[in-house]
Amino acid sequence: MADRRPDQAEMPPSKRLKTSDVKVKASTLDPTTNPYLSHRYEIADIDPENSGFSNRNGYSNGNSARTGLSDFKRHTTTAKQAHVAEDGPNNPFNNAPLSNQYFNILETRRELPVHKQRQEFLDMFQKTQILVFVGETGSGKTTQIPQFVLFDDLPHFNRKLVACTQPRRVAAMSVAQRVANEMDVKLGEEVGYSIRFEDVTGPKTILKYMTDGMLLREAMHDHNLTRYSCIILDEAHERTLSTDILMGLLKEVAIRRPDLKIVIMSATLDAQKFQRYFNDAPLLAVPGRTHPVEIFYTPEPERDYVEAALRTVLQIHATEPEGDILLFLTGEEEIEDACRKISMEADEMIREADAGPLKVYPLYGTLPPQQQQRIFEPAPPPARAGGRPGRKVIVGTNIAETSLTIDGIVYVVDPGFSKQKVYNPRIRVESLLVSPISKASAQQRAGRAGRTRPGKCFRLYTEAAFKKELIEQTHPEILRSNLANTVLELKKLGIDDLVHFDLMDPPAPETLMRALEELNYLACLDDDGDLTTLGKLASEFPLDPALAVMLISSPEFFCSNEILSLTALLSVPQLFVRPASAKKRADEMKALFAHPDGDHLTMLNVYHAFKGPEAQADPKRWCHDHFLSLRALQSADNVRQQLKRIMETNEIDLVSTDFNDKDYYTNIRRALVAGFFMQVAKKDPAGKAYKTVKDDQNVLLHPSTVLGVESEWIVYNEFVLTTKNYVRTVTSVRPEWLLDIAPNYYDLSTFKAGEIKTALQRTLDKIKRKQAIKRGR
Amino acid sequence: MPSQDLNSSNPSHDEEDGDDYMNMVIAEPSAPKEKETYTQRRLRKQRESEAKGRVKSKAERAADEAAAREVALSKSLLDSENKGLAMMAKMGFKGGALGSKNNIGARLDPIGINMKEDRGGIGLDTEKKRKFREEVEKEGKRVKAEEGEYRERVRKEREDARLESLFGAAMRVAERMDGEKEEEEAIKNGQVDEITKRTISTKPLKQINVLWRGLVRQREEKERDRRMRYDLHQSLSRLPTYDDPDEDKEDKKALGKDKIQHTLVEDLEEEDPELDAFIALDPAERLHKLVLHLREEYNYCFWCKFTYPDKEMDGCPGLTEEDHD
Repeated sequence: MADRRPDQAEMPPSKRLKTSDVKVKASTLDPTTNPYLSHRYEIADIDPENSGFSNRNGYSNGNSARTGLSDFKRHTTTAKQAHVAEDGPNNPFNNAPLSNQYFNILETRRELPVHKQRQEFLDMFQKTQILVFVGETGSGKTTQIPQFVLFDDLPHFNRKLVACTQPRRVAAMSVAQRVANEMDVKLGEEVGYSIRFEDVTGPKTILKYMTDGMLLREAMHDHNLTRYSCIILDEAHERTLSTDILMGLLKEVAIRRPDLKIVIMSATLDAQKFQRYFNDAPLLAVPGRTHPVEIFYTPEPERDYVEAALRTVLQIHATEPEGDILLFLTGEEEIEDACRKISMEADEMIREADAGPLKVYPLYGTLPPQQQQRIFEPAPPPARAGGRPGRKVIVGTNIAETSLTIDGIVYVVDPGFSKQKVYNPRIRVESLLVSPISKASAQQRAGRAGRTRPGKCFRLYTEAAFKKELIEQTHPEILRSNLANTVLELKKLGIDDLVHFDLMDPPAPETLMRALEELNYLACLDDDGDLTTLGKLASEFPLDPALAVMLISSPEFFCSNEILSLTALLSVPQLFVRPASAKKRADEMKALFAHPDGDHLTMLNVYHAFKGPEAQADPKRWCHDHFLSLRALQSADNVRQQLKRIMETNEIDLVSTDFNDKDYYTNIRRALVAGFFMQVAKKDPAGKAYKTVKDDQNVLLHPSTVLGVESEWIVYNEFVLTTKNYVRTVTSVRPEWLLDIAPNYYDLSTFKAGEIKTALQRTLDKIKRKQAIKRGR
Repeated sequence: MPSQDLNSSNPSHDEEDGDDYMNMVIAEPSAPKEKETYTQRRLRKQRESEAKGRVKSKAERAADEAAAREVALSKSLLDSENKGLAMMAKMGFKGGALGSKNNIGARLDPIGINMKEDRGGIGLDTEKKRKFREEVEKEGKRVKAEEGEYRERVRKEREDARLESLFGAAMRVAERMDGEKEEEEAIKNGQVDEITKRTISTKPLKQINVLWRGLVRQREEKERDRRMRYDLHQSLSRLPTYDDPDEDKEDKKALGKDKIQHTLVEDLEEEDPELDAFIALDPAERLHKLVLHLREEYNYCFWCKFTYPDKEMDGCPGLTEEDHD
């Protein structure tokens, strides 16, 4: 494979160069340059094997074939040509007259740093199959590069699309909206987006922003991604799990499809790694529009980074000239707490020291979008004419590091921590832990201070600590994740040799081993590592394999409607709201829905109540009164719809046990075991602690649980690693079910001697005796 | 059994009720074979339930948790038999890292888990460790230093004691030589009769050369103490200085309460800053001064134990003890 690469990489560009040379020479005399004939020339030349003519006609829908792009020849266009087409008067893509707003935006677009290098970009894009593009935040790469590509790749000439992936749903949505505005088209028509459980694209779509995970899902059904003529992987430096898998996949697809163009976009200068990985692909770098940032370190390590951060923010407010502050903290609770404290202290400063007004905004992933938008509000004006200027402070997680661009930030306070996902196959825990950031992250954070004018970054650690304690780059997500889902996806992508699959950073062998083992126990893979029927079915669902298997097997337990709801509920963020100011009241409200057998059943009760007439009359009010998150419930509703559709296509029955049947809840608990039999813990004979099955980790029930009775055996949804080991969202189960439903996993010969094995053995003996008695009768 | 309580309280579980009865019957056969008395049994049950019922403290639990985690985290799964591993082997896994062959430096072990338990800033732990290490090092140095100091002190004490005894000897030599010299002079002057008196010094202490005055003073103090004891023994329970108003001059003379003794005692009680200053000197220095004195006055070398005939002291290797080694 490897030795075939260089030829393959070189062939298409050289070919293309030749043809383009010929064309340029010929254009002076050739009648094909006649604008009235150019579309025929175009189609005949570029897409000889496809019936391009009819395609083209189909696309233009019988309208006049003349658009601003009619003279364009794929992969030979220039920045100048595009410039002319952009100037209108009609939209080059749909021939509609362009609006005033369009021209206003066009002006600002042409001031973006990437615009200066449009020709340079086109030259490289045309010459090579894979291009690495480095542009710092603020260079305009995410919005502009896909448009540059559109004007040269002209995907609609071939009924194809350009895809641009984003690591985050929010980014995919907001960037698509922005670009639709820039192109003066309606979102969902020429420009659309596709994220999990939401597809806003149409038959006219030529540019699709999507999450990297969505593109991966599409690749499962279309291994060569034939719908696309160009794929742009944006924010590749973030190295999400899906981006890494996509890169591995694209490396192979590029060989099979020489016509496919690939652009890897990264914000950091670690681009050599990408170049090397893609067989020394050429690189284009565009400088960001940044100002110098002065960096300050503390002379001594801090005892309490939160306290130090608050102190620093207030000090900046008291002593530094005008300019907004961005403070990085790790999580929702810490951020809300910090916001409260800063506001309080600032009020005092205003009263007593005549400081300027200060507005504090939190920013984290689970914050409702309207509230996230508030960070873009301008800083407050001075309290009185001639008074000291106002300032805004944004206290955010690392989503403020790269994905959101906030203008006006001049001061950055960086304590050096973020919450990062960790996974260790040895104890099978995937959890979010507060960990030191990397040097690259620290630089990224500092850079945020220099967006509008020269800024300052206050690092709450010593320079020596920066040099010695921080790792160079954040570990890519693939090294920090449970890969069960990924392995299932790779299998579905047609990759059988997972051991030698060429990833940029292959995970530890044990991680793959665990994933294969898990999938084998879930009966998604057979002992040879091949997909089973169940596995194929499970991969249809955008869910973790355990959830998917639970859902698929739920008809056997006569409760697929309920399990469908539960799966949806488990796929959305926290349902219950517990504000610090009303903890007791919130707990009382939760108790209304509590089921003594566990949290899963309680969540189900909540959902059923939410769908009831009383709640539906005024859902907002009802959720508020019951301390529930309307957003979470609504999105659960949406997810349920999507999953239901997948179930229907795959002919999975939707059934329910009669609610008055004594086995209504038992059936649901048994169905839970079918998916989560690997997440079971047994109570220690002494004390409150539990011990996880097979891994022997001591865990406590998370304080949020409603599990009222002392349950001997529980299934849990999540193992949370904090200062204590907690299991969250738990429901009590019976050991007989474990042995009955998952006999492979509960093969007692594979258990270590101990309390759990003894207890299971006792249960097994009991079952055998019972059966013997039955037979005896 | 709690789970059974749960069932009976929940009507949806009575399907399992038969099991409880079965279970009770079956649990019994594990009773001990040997017969226990009622008391033994009761005590055993009590002990067992105590052991079972003891709730571990939070700290113990946390320690257990952490220990179990560390054990699990430090053990590679590749050593054990495992279905996943078997599947990987079928894909051609032969140990080592994953990925394509030319991917050098791919990961072999999973990333470790570090739990942050406080709000300490970056570098604080290392700083703490560094400080702790420094503290330990300092402590180590201090102990070592103390050891050295002790040896040095003992050595010095021994040396001082040795020098002190040498000094004592030198003082005796000096006193003798001084006496001999005075005698010679007396003989020259024809005052032979006074020689006998020399044994008991009548000279006031302050007239004696400070270099060996200490010796004389010590002797006189000893003599005084001896006499006082003697007086006590003689039941003349009076201090020699006691001035009995009943005794007249004649009595005193008869009782031997002479003036001499009087002055002697007074002399001893008098302050002697010169001597104190001299004694405060280092024994080595005192000795050195005395040795010099002997050489200058008597052409005597304390180290050679020899009186040279002239000032040149030809044949003496030098001034110090080391010179004579």
